[in-house]
Amino acid sequence: MSALPEYEYDEPETAKALIQLESVTKTYDSGENAVQALRGVDVAIEKGEFVAVIGPSGSGKSTLMHILGCLDTPSSGKYWLDGEDVAEMTNRSLARVRNQKIGFVFQTFNLLPRATILKNVELPLLYAGLRSGDRREQAMEALKRVGIDNRAKHRPNELSGGQRQRVAIARALVNNPSLILADEPTGNLDQKTGWEIIDIFRELASHDETIVLVTHDPAIANTTQRRIKIVDGLIETGE
Amino acid sequence: MILIQSIIDGLRDIKDHFGRTMLQLTGIILGAASIVATFSLSVAGKAASMEYYKVSGGIQKIWIWNQPTGKVTLDAKALASKGLTFADAQDIKAQCPDIDLVSPVSSQGMTISYQKVEKPHDVMGILPAYSPMNDVHVTNGRFISDQDVQSAARVVVLGSERAEEFFSTDNPVGKTLIIGGTGYTVVGVQDEKYFSFDQKRNVMRWMNKQMYIPITTMMTRKGEAVSQGKVSVMNARMKDVKRHKDATEQIEGVLQRNHGVKDFQVLSRVANLKRNEANNKMYDMTFMICGVISLIVGGIVVMNIQLASFNERIREVGTRKAVGASPAQIFFQFLAESVLVSIFGGFLGLFVGRLFTQGITSLIKQPAIVTPSTLINALIFAAGTGLVFGMYPAIRASRLNPIEALRTE
Repeated sequence: MSALPEYEYDEPETAKALIQLESVTKTYDSGENAVQALRGVDVAIEKGEFVAVIGPSGSGKSTLMHILGCLDTPSSGKYWLDGEDVAEMTNRSLARVRNQKIGFVFQTFNLLPRATILKNVELPLLYAGLRSGDRREQAMEALKRVGIDNRAKHRPNELSGGQRQRVAIARALVNNPSLILADEPTGNLDQKTGWEIIDIFRELASHDETIVLVTHDPAIANTTQRRIKIVDGLIETGE
Repeated sequence: MILIQSIIDGLRDIKDHFGRTMLQLTGIILGAASIVATFSLSVAGKAASMEYYKVSGGIQKIWIWNQPTGKVTLDAKALASKGLTFADAQDIKAQCPDIDLVSPVSSQGMTISYQKVEKPHDVMGILPAYSPMNDVHVTNGRFISDQDVQSAARVVVLGSERAEEFFSTDNPVGKTLIIGGTGYTVVGVQDEKYFSFDQKRNVMRWMNKQMYIPITTMMTRKGEAVSQGKVSVMNARMKDVKRHKDATEQIEGVLQRNHGVKDFQVLSRVANLKRNEANNKMYDMTFMICGVISLIVGGIVVMNIQLASFNERIREVGTRKAVGASPAQIFFQFLAESVLVSIFGGFLGLFVGRLFTQGITSLIKQPAIVTPSTLINALIFAAGTGLVFGMYPAIRASRLNPIEALRTE
């Protein structure tokens, strides 16, 4: 055993980052003319990083988000998430990865209008197959983390936009994901509320959550530790 | 877990879109209702038939009639045959292992009088076996006994209407009635027979107008030797309904041997019943098909509305998929909703069906019996409709691309 010191030394180098994309491309086949949304993207994001993805519309930003979020698979290239090769997974396996490793926060919140706040936050746990008592407990905890547990019994339409986004963040947090993906989370909020939401993300980042935030607002992007700029399907600045 | 949540979601859906749900369910409600109505009426009809068979002697009853043969060339024995006789009855009783009761009847029209009332009526010469064979009971007095038959006694048992006709409210037992110029002692009055399919007409009333004397007395009166005495009709009872073919064949065998010609007809009620059953099945099928068709139409409506609501729920499906719902979980969620909504419709259908049957009952006096199995059948059909027609929307939802679903406004 003592005969393999190099191997022990090598391993940290070959180990993947939490997120590792290697020459990822995505081509949309819309009839005659194929559209290449991503043209060979390499990205590595370590656990605990707070990263902003910026870029003009049509740059491939959304496509990258979808691939990172396992809503879509690359046309070619490799994607490792938390040590798992997700590039060629079936829909069913992708659903499991989304359920256990990813938390989404959308621009339009996407809460179920007819379910209570609590039920909304419980949703990922429902599909994970947790018992109702455990679901309630974990959901209440997540709501506490974003400071909105006093509204658990309300319906989304009884809440303000900022409050709704907090609920969405609680839903993203509830299953202790490896990665939180936020797609323009302040896009539908006024500036003050927007900054409150960004503060929540910063707070989460300071507690070692890995967060990837898509935004077109440079001011917001500047608050993160790192920025990835994507232009025309390629990464322009990856610090 | 997910199933329970789907059921809760489904119930909430019913509550939130009550009007739409009711519209969606009209077909299912009517379908389930017509199944309930059909089954209830059919079950009641069958029960009434069975009851009728019971009061008229049970399904083990066999009729034996004289039926002159159409043949022109007859041998000596055939020419000698006088039709059914008392001896035939005794032979059937002795020689047919599957027969336990034989009841020959010899009827004749006679003049009956008591004090100032005088009327012509048919009088029946019978054996005591007539009573169990035809479900005849006598509480006031007694029926014709074996002793009466042996001694050719001049005794008579009256149907309830005859008793009233001649004796009004007096008790006829012990009184003497003049039948064909001879005095007969009334020994009993037959209990009133009543059976009605429609609560109006007593189909057993004719039995209340009968008068019974011992068959031997009748034959002596007619001047016939008892064993050669002519019998107008005979009933026999088989021991086991399952062996009804053997029973009729045995009787036919005895009669054929005795008469040398087929101048009789043997008909078992079981055979009759089978024919009726075939008819009933056709009626049942017709109504069932109506019920099933309205369920299918209902199912199509369920599917349509499920698809329409599906469009407004695409985003919801996208969200559910984004947080990790697998295609199978989405499929079962949608399917559970359709089935649940349909079962709900089925339940309402049970009540509507109950109203249908009550309406029909009060309109045409047709009784209805609602059995648990009827209700369960209707519910199963309703749930099945939801299952079949919920399949397509559920498959569509499960196959939805989450990205496009989330993009939908």
